[in-house]
Amino acid sequence: MLAFTRKPNSAALAFIIAGSVWFVVGTIYGLFSAIHLVSPEFFDNIPALVFGRTRAIHVNTVLYGFVGSLLIGLGMYYTPALLKRRIWSEQLGWLSFMFWTVTVLSGPITFSMGMSQGREYTEYLWIFDVSLVLAVLTMVVNMVMTILRRKENLLYVSVWYFTATFLWVGGSYFLGNVMWNPSTGALPGILDSIFHWFWGHVLPGLLLTPMAVGVAYFVIPRITRTPLYSHTLSILGFWTLVVFYSHIGGHHIVQAPMPNWLKMISAVDSMFMFLPVIIVIVNLWMTWRGKGGRIFGDPAGKWIALGLFWYLIVGAQGSLQSLPEMQVITHFNNWTVGHAHIAILGFSGFLAIGGLWHILPMITRRQLYSKKLVEVQFGLVMIGLTGFFIVLTIAGLIQGESWYNGEVIYRVLPELDAYMVLRAALGMFIIFGAFIGLYNVIMTIKKGKPIDSVEHN
Amino acid sequence: MKMTPKIFIIGSVLVWAASISLMVIFPWISMEDEPSDIWTPMNEKEKAGHDIYVNNGCHYCHSLYVRTIDWGKGAERISKMGDYYQMQPAILGTERTGPDLSQEGGEHTDDWHKAHFINPRYTNPLSLMPSWEFLGEKKIEQLTAYMQHLGWKMADKRMARQEKWQEKAIEAYEAGPDSNITWLHNNVPEEWRNMPNPYPATDAALARGRNIYENFCLNCHGPVGDGQGKAAKYLDPPPVNFTTLKRHLAEDKYIGGIFYYQIMNGITGTAMPYFKRQLESEKIWDVSNFVAVWFVGYTDANIEPRGIDASYEPEWENPYLEDPPTMEEMDKKKEEDQ
Repeated sequence: MLAFTRKPNSAALAFIIAGSVWFVVGTIYGLFSAIHLVSPEFFDNIPALVFGRTRAIHVNTVLYGFVGSLLIGLGMYYTPALLKRRIWSEQLGWLSFMFWTVTVLSGPITFSMGMSQGREYTEYLWIFDVSLVLAVLTMVVNMVMTILRRKENLLYVSVWYFTATFLWVGGSYFLGNVMWNPSTGALPGILDSIFHWFWGHVLPGLLLTPMAVGVAYFVIPRITRTPLYSHTLSILGFWTLVVFYSHIGGHHIVQAPMPNWLKMISAVDSMFMFLPVIIVIVNLWMTWRGKGGRIFGDPAGKWIALGLFWYLIVGAQGSLQSLPEMQVITHFNNWTVGHAHIAILGFSGFLAIGGLWHILPMITRRQLYSKKLVEVQFGLVMIGLTGFFIVLTIAGLIQGESWYNGEVIYRVLPELDAYMVLRAALGMFIIFGAFIGLYNVIMTIKKGKPIDSVEHN
Repeated sequence: MKMTPKIFIIGSVLVWAASISLMVIFPWISMEDEPSDIWTPMNEKEKAGHDIYVNNGCHYCHSLYVRTIDWGKGAERISKMGDYYQMQPAILGTERTGPDLSQEGGEHTDDWHKAHFINPRYTNPLSLMPSWEFLGEKKIEQLTAYMQHLGWKMADKRMARQEKWQEKAIEAYEAGPDSNITWLHNNVPEEWRNMPNPYPATDAALARGRNIYENFCLNCHGPVGDGQGKAAKYLDPPPVNFTTLKRHLAEDKYIGGIFYYQIMNGITGTAMPYFKRQLESEKIWDVSNFVAVWFVGYTDANIEPRGIDASYEPEWENPYLEDPPTMEEMDKKKEEDQ
């Protein structure tokens, strides 16, 4: 019974396929939301498509569904591969997949009915929080057992990152979602914001970032066929990530009534956050030094390289944005929306997609159905995202500067018209990219040329 | 350093635990949830409204706190920790596509909110907010109750003012259109009543005024100024019909000062909000001239007492004193000019 759940790497593949589907679903909901800001009566009085609901579906589906599922699927492949054995339990992997997917699936269903816990990034209802935590716990067991039964003595840096992700996320999600209070998923009073934004920043910081960096560390040395530049830098990057990233959630509420010491730590450690960013980037750039041609000539390598480039930008931007002086202009407007898009789609999304095109042939033992489609997808998403980032940053600056000059919010709205139209249009590039990606994944699984026993490079 | 399973698994968990102790557990133990000087509890209806607000993602566009950096930018008071006493969740928000709502209570009347929830463009023609009509009457009332709660004791004072004047405004409205206008005008300070619009109603000024009218006034006062805009049927008392005003000129000649005052100050107790934050002086005079010329058929622009003309003012003879042009003539003139 359920023989397919015992097939090697089948759980990893399930995560990867789900991630590719969520990419399509998540970005379509992004378009719905974007249309609202162009024409608020386009979906007039359609409850399931009202902005407050579609935005939640877009954000959660993209975070947990697209980037989350893809990165988990990739890690489930490369971690055992780096340990030179199969995953401890393939069926436990399937169980993780089921729990995780149930949670992601609950988003479009419950949010569209107006059932949500509201706090950003913690919107899933309690029962689906439980499901997500179960997915994480089963992953912990599976990864730790795989490590304990490994055949390769040395633990490569990707293994630390991928395994530690689940060690950090289970408890953080439980705390940040106030799961001991199922009815609201929140604490009474302003204290709740501390819990909320602790998770708010652990989500990108200790869920997506380590898994994405793990992918980069895995793929780049394989493409360039050079050893990793520095073991010391890997260690430094790993420990500084967990030390600093877990302290900075408070920078979201620097302008809110909060204890000053908390704002101080959040802002200072946000500056230090640039350390793990630059350490990872230096380590990987030095690894491919002199071999850039191989990286940019490889369909997957390109994504990884650009993903690291976005990491650099988003890291620098994120540190600066946490400064109260900077927030005078950048807080509460589309500047932050631009930042969020290069963080999730640019940094972790690009690395996830790059990892997908590198690892999919290794899992399926088939060549990619079409490298050309990977290139087309790259072009589409790159144009879409770069344009998006520029347009939203400009729109944010217009809002921030106008408010700073004493203009009321209502009067600034018409100034955003053109930018909101452009953002919706550019978003369509990303959606086409998502469709092409899904098509290429399915066709590779179905019709890709089988790779002989030689390992794919 | 060799990363053995022991080191990195136990180490990861320990560093993480140290972080949460400092950033989550310590605030949890040390912060006390105490009400601020303006806090008041929510009643059941307001709580229901709060839940609708949270479940439907209102906080993606509206913030619920006045930031430190908003000081000196129109805010009267920066939010304090105790404002959120017992609120669960204290849904602070992360963006301001729409305005901050932490002091929304009593800024508008309940019927303004109703029209606004049914279609935000009924009251604010430029709004990007979706229509919430589908929620149904009951939920819209709950949301409205929650809006009126925000601002706590400060909101209660504003609400008391709204209710006091709404009663009087309805009474005046029900006494008949002419006595209603008289009542409205009598509530404008006398200095403002006997004041003409000091600026000429040139074609350019009327065009500027028209733009303001379309972006701010259109859907209450209507495209022909008769007070039959789309929001009108939800509002009690309904918007003023400008076309009756020619019978009510102060001293048989002044209307500009009354317009200016009512637009700047709003009419508390009715759906007419104050625009002094949104419109600077020139825009109020321009839209006053526009309403006067187009809908009243008369403007007192530039008549005595006029003081010293502003330097920009062109040579201008007021053609709207005796026999104002019809709208068809105005449109025709505009076409000829182009």
